[in-house]
Amino acid sequence: MKSSETPVARKNGLVVQEVADEVLVYDLDTNKAHCLNETAAMVWRNCDGTRTVSDISKVVEGKLGGKVNEDLIWLALDQLGEKDLLEEKRELSFSGRSRREVIRKIGLATAVAIPLVASLTTPTSVLAAASCACTAGNPAPCAATTCPSTTNCNLAGQCAP
Amino acid sequence: MAKFSGGLCYYYFEVGFFLDLAEKKNDDYWYLLQTRVFEEKLKGAFELLRGEGIEPILIKGWAAGLFYPEEKKRRYTDIDLCVEPESFERALNLVRSERGSRLGIDLHRGLRNLDVLPWEDLFGNSRVLKMGDGAIRVLRPEDHLRVLAVHWLVDGGENRERLWDIFYLVKNRPEGFDWDRCLNSAGEKRRLWVLCTIEVARKHLGLEVGDLPFAERMPQIPGWMERTLKKEWRSGVPLIPLRYCRGDLPLLFKQIRKRIPPNPIQATVDLEGDFDEKRRFFYQLRNFFRRLIVAGR
Repeated sequence: MKSSETPVARKNGLVVQEVADEVLVYDLDTNKAHCLNETAAMVWRNCDGTRTVSDISKVVEGKLGGKVNEDLIWLALDQLGEKDLLEEKRELSFSGRSRREVIRKIGLATAVAIPLVASLTTPTSVLAAASCACTAGNPAPCAATTCPSTTNCNLAGQCAP
Repeated sequence: MAKFSGGLCYYYFEVGFFLDLAEKKNDDYWYLLQTRVFEEKLKGAFELLRGEGIEPILIKGWAAGLFYPEEKKRRYTDIDLCVEPESFERALNLVRSERGSRLGIDLHRGLRNLDVLPWEDLFGNSRVLKMGDGAIRVLRPEDHLRVLAVHWLVDGGENRERLWDIFYLVKNRPEGFDWDRCLNSAGEKRRLWVLCTIEVARKHLGLEVGDLPFAERMPQIPGWMERTLKKEWRSGVPLIPLRYCRGDLPLLFKQIRKRIPPNPIQATVDLEGDFDEKRRFFYQLRNFFRRLIVAGR
């Protein structure tokens, strides 16, 4: 992906919930949940197919009030693409540097928080209470001794919506 | 130094963020998101059926959660939708479609054995609530309390957690709640079933009943019912349809063991029996053979 390209945030099959400065995203196709910190959320929101990476970095700079290096936007796009939150997943280039090196460089050059996309995990209390065996594919009837639902497994193989 | 501080940055931002999420925040976010996902699916379920001209009524789950306080949010599992008996087959096809099968709908033909009022009456008294940009049809609270109580009894009272549905609906009932509609519209037996369930919620969850119009006439919980509840809550093994236990012999054995002798509460409700002090033996026996015949078919 080049700087002149205009990334597009994925819209379909996602449930989005804003929480304070962060954004929670649930992928209905994969049943995975992600948490975008403020910087990643801002980049993602601005991936509208019209703004270039350079445009996005200016928007982020304006909103977060610190110098924003384009590498920071690339880092966000890298993670968003990895979590399947962009319409097109493309190979991003950090010019031969590793992600860690890029983070180090950004960390020293900007006061803006590094964009991060973390995956949410099913709480252990839920796993303990819903250790169901979805026996016939998904969605399917649950069969377990401590299953909260006797009717359906979700696509992740859990007795949950 | 630069390398060190850069590494520290990496650790602080990435690892720290993950550690942070791994604690309470992760769980809170997870539940928040699950609730949002559930609401989206709920809207989708109504859209799916409405698209074919079928208007369902939601029972239990989200509809019961409406009466829970903000600090004790109810968690949802599946979407229990009741449809007019004549539309059931059509609705079932939709629920089994690719789109429908992703929504986790548990479809009911009318209210099944959960109530005896005609569908037209229940539907005519139901109400539509806004949920975001969607509209969800639920039973009126008086009917829902009766249905929730009967459902809890149909499950043999095994789910102590679900007793909170009764607790909060009674506690946070809307002003002008029509107790006559709730208790007297579905016959004397069901009236006593509902009252007994409210009494269980009073005794075991501390529900305040002093302001109820029938507070002075609350029934005694029959001895057999008390013993059944104690046994069920101690065992912690929920009833699972036997067809889901195929291939899992220990689970199958556990489930057969759970059915013998049949749960007296379930047996009584199944046979539309009275909640009196008489022994449950004949109810259990009849229930056992009835289930045997059904299983045989």
